[in-house]
Amino acid sequence: MKKSHIIGIIIIAVAIGAILSTLYDSSTYADFSEAFSNEGKEYHVVGKLDKDKEMQYNPESNADLFSFWMVDNNGEERHVQLHKAKPQDFERSEQIVLIGKAQGDDFHAREILMKCPSKYNDANGDKFLSPDEMKEIDQEKKRSAAL
Amino acid sequence: MDITYVGERLWAGALGNSFVVIGFTTALLATIAYTLGAKNNDPVWKRIGRIAFHTHGLTIFGIVGMLLFMLTNHMFEYHYVWQHSNSEMPMRYVFSSFWEGQEGSTILWLFWHAVIGNILIFTSGKWEQPVMAVFSSAQVFLLSMLLGIFFFDSRIGSNPFTVLLREHPDFMNLPLFNSPNYMDTLDGSGLNPLLQNYWMTIHPPTLFLGFASTLVPFSYAIAGLWKRNYQEWLKPALPWTFFGIGILGIGILMGGAWAYESLNFGGFWAWDPVENASLVPWLTFVGAGHLMLIQKNKGTSLLWVYILSTLTFFLILYSTFLTKSGVLGETSVHAFTDLGLSGQLVIIFAFYGLLSIGMIIWRAKDMPKKKEDPLWSREFWLFIGSLVLLISSFQITFSTSIPVWNKLFGLDLAPPADPEAHYNKWQLPFAIIIGIIIGFAQYLNYKRTDFKVFIRNVLRDMIFALLLTIGIGLGVGIGNSLYLLMLFSGLYAVIGNLSYLIKVFRGKIPKAGSTIAHIGFGLLLVGALISMGGQKIISQNTTRYDISTIDSTYKNNENILLMLDDTVRMSDYNVIYRGKEKEGIYVYYNVDYLNKNNEKEFTLRPFIQLNDRMGNVAEPSTKHYWNKDIFTHLTYAVIEDRKVQKEEYHEPDEHHINIGDTIYASNAIIILKGIRGISDPEKKASYNLGDQDLLVEGELVVYDFDTEMHVVHPHFAAIGTRAVSFPDVIDKIGLKIDLFEIDPQAEKIGIKVFEAKNKVKDFVIMKASVFPYINVLWVGALVMFFGTIIAIINRIQQQRKS
Repeated sequence: MKKSHIIGIIIIAVAIGAILSTLYDSSTYADFSEAFSNEGKEYHVVGKLDKDKEMQYNPESNADLFSFWMVDNNGEERHVQLHKAKPQDFERSEQIVLIGKAQGDDFHAREILMKCPSKYNDANGDKFLSPDEMKEIDQEKKRSAAL
Repeated sequence: MDITYVGERLWAGALGNSFVVIGFTTALLATIAYTLGAKNNDPVWKRIGRIAFHTHGLTIFGIVGMLLFMLTNHMFEYHYVWQHSNSEMPMRYVFSSFWEGQEGSTILWLFWHAVIGNILIFTSGKWEQPVMAVFSSAQVFLLSMLLGIFFFDSRIGSNPFTVLLREHPDFMNLPLFNSPNYMDTLDGSGLNPLLQNYWMTIHPPTLFLGFASTLVPFSYAIAGLWKRNYQEWLKPALPWTFFGIGILGIGILMGGAWAYESLNFGGFWAWDPVENASLVPWLTFVGAGHLMLIQKNKGTSLLWVYILSTLTFFLILYSTFLTKSGVLGETSVHAFTDLGLSGQLVIIFAFYGLLSIGMIIWRAKDMPKKKEDPLWSREFWLFIGSLVLLISSFQITFSTSIPVWNKLFGLDLAPPADPEAHYNKWQLPFAIIIGIIIGFAQYLNYKRTDFKVFIRNVLRDMIFALLLTIGIGLGVGIGNSLYLLMLFSGLYAVIGNLSYLIKVFRGKIPKAGSTIAHIGFGLLLVGALISMGGQKIISQNTTRYDISTIDSTYKNNENILLMLDDTVRMSDYNVIYRGKEKEGIYVYYNVDYLNKNNEKEFTLRPFIQLNDRMGNVAEPSTKHYWNKDIFTHLTYAVIEDRKVQKEEYHEPDEHHINIGDTIYASNAIIILKGIRGISDPEKKASYNLGDQDLLVEGELVVYDFDTEMHVVHPHFAAIGTRAVSFPDVIDKIGLKIDLFEIDPQAEKIGIKVFEAKNKVKDFVIMKASVFPYINVLWVGALVMFFGTIIAIINRIQQQRKS
């Protein structure tokens, strides 16, 4: 067998390995019902924060625990324990992706991704001000400059 | 009803747009002329091609100049200017807003192509026509991204010059545009504050220069296939290739440095899709460059030269597609949003992909073939190294493209939950192999190797590297065996090349460019490994509060709570949060670091940027030492001031004490220093007292638990027989102290101590890590860059001589 054949076989083997490992490592997007029927398995769950329900964060007792209620895309609502500090601007999030697993009655998330109203260059998300508002802001600026 | 708008400067857009149209036409003309001329070296077509490309270059400069002009003159009637700048933005950010948007970054790319293309015309000699034909075609495609015209209902390109804000579909119905004088009140929406950063000024142009330089070997390769002159082009293409490798590498690392300095994830590399998208072409570019060296020296691996050099350019286009089409949207923080041009992007990279594959297959049979290199030759291991780079880039691309697979095959895969673990698992072994090849390949001769000498050299270097690995591994505390292997491989790459530099080149720097570059690369690997592998989170919660939670797998225990003015132990430091300061759009949180003897060593100021567009962003603050960095960032902080409600106090404690006595409050120790009568009539008048009335001032010293000293002066007055008191307040610790009674008989003084009810102190939650020896990484990057430059200069000089 020629050297190039051996190398070729090794390359193909590694490439297949890479593909399989990617498929294995990539989790799937799921909803709460799926996550709760497979307790202990890790999922990405997409949903929205329920702003009317209580959010609990007591950094004095545990800076790494924050709990809130989230409604998933099917409308199912669950209590979520996020094992991280409360993200900045959490209330402003439009969409949340939780990475974690179900346990008992709670969903325990170890990672959270938030989608905020406007990212980078999102033209549609930018506010447009009326001339009156512009004037008001200008005056506000002058006032604060005077101070 | 037509409105005649006042104050719009329509000529600017018209001028800019004509540059775009002329630029597009001339690029097309240059492509056609050069293509036709390339067939039989026709001098007339060549002349036409040249004139067309020179003109094209001028129009690109015109486009750049016009857009800069519009930005500096605040022409907010144009959508691009409105979207990316405002009248308050400091002028030093004008370049940042120039390339913040997709159109601007495309212009930047076009600009570098125009510069390089015009250089190529003068340096490529007999290769000019076929090379420039390929080169100009890329300009045609890129400029089509700026056309902004409609062609059978589909939009081609997005033009930054003609899209007036009032004609933009999202805004045209706004009442604002009913006013002919809308320009008077209009201000831009401004540059994203996150990008108001000097890195944003230097990182994109460097990166795009690197991108642009991949087009040179690509054009030469296609030209070589086309003209069936398979090998001669390597000589002129080599310096460009290594120039591009150096620039693109430094551009990618600049992105890493920027992320390390101002992003929160704590590190310089996060395997973010956008980072990956620029790393992958660099890997194949390095592979292509090294294969070109083999081919030039030995004439082998020709087919692979073509595969990797065309693949590199294709991957640049593919990465542009990933970042610009919006397909990454949910998986990356810094992808662009979709401008509706993904179809066009697909056409572009499909065109070049098919062109490359087609040309290579068409000519594969015709290419000269050589026997394989022997196992112990430098070429063979260079070849293996290049293939490892190719597989490595394949793995990264495959994982990064998950959103693309989802779109293509209707899947619903989420990217790996822990990207670092996923990528490291594959990329570390690849990097280990590369490091070891770099270490020994130099000692293999291009032709034949004396095996005994080779083994001796390799063994010596390996033993050195092994000893250093053990030393550093123990010193920094790296236990992971894969990390130790990586450390060894990086160190071996450095030592192997260092000894080669000393033994073979005898320190002759100008000749040893590549050896120096490899030392730099080795250092880079070592620095990355030590700083990441030895990274320690030092912000464990050391307060008295229990942090253990239900599920042990989720216990992060990485954040520390700092109450205002409380001293908290953190690793080797005593840390005190001293309060916040607002400066413009930034709120700084001052955190003092004291050594064991409670002497202040330094202050770090992690801050939050108040950002209306993206939400507030916390940015880190880092203390740099030569051998480590202390990296801190806020995970939670309150932006508004928490005010102590002054009027709400608990029932006071009454004390009857003598001078010199001590009172203990719940958060302070109070000592009565003395009292004195005040006779100054003016002072009396300030308390609404007459001359005959008695005024007594008490002096108390208050030590809070931060051992800070406060002095308070409560006053006591007697107006006739009526006693009045004037308490003093220390807002900071919420204490009110009242001198309410003086009893001359008992020689006692009555003091009331009020404690505020709402004594919520300000606090922050912070995460802090130590990155050991991260400077090795940055030094390595610079050494690699300068080594590459030395090698290029040396190569060009040699070519001139021969």
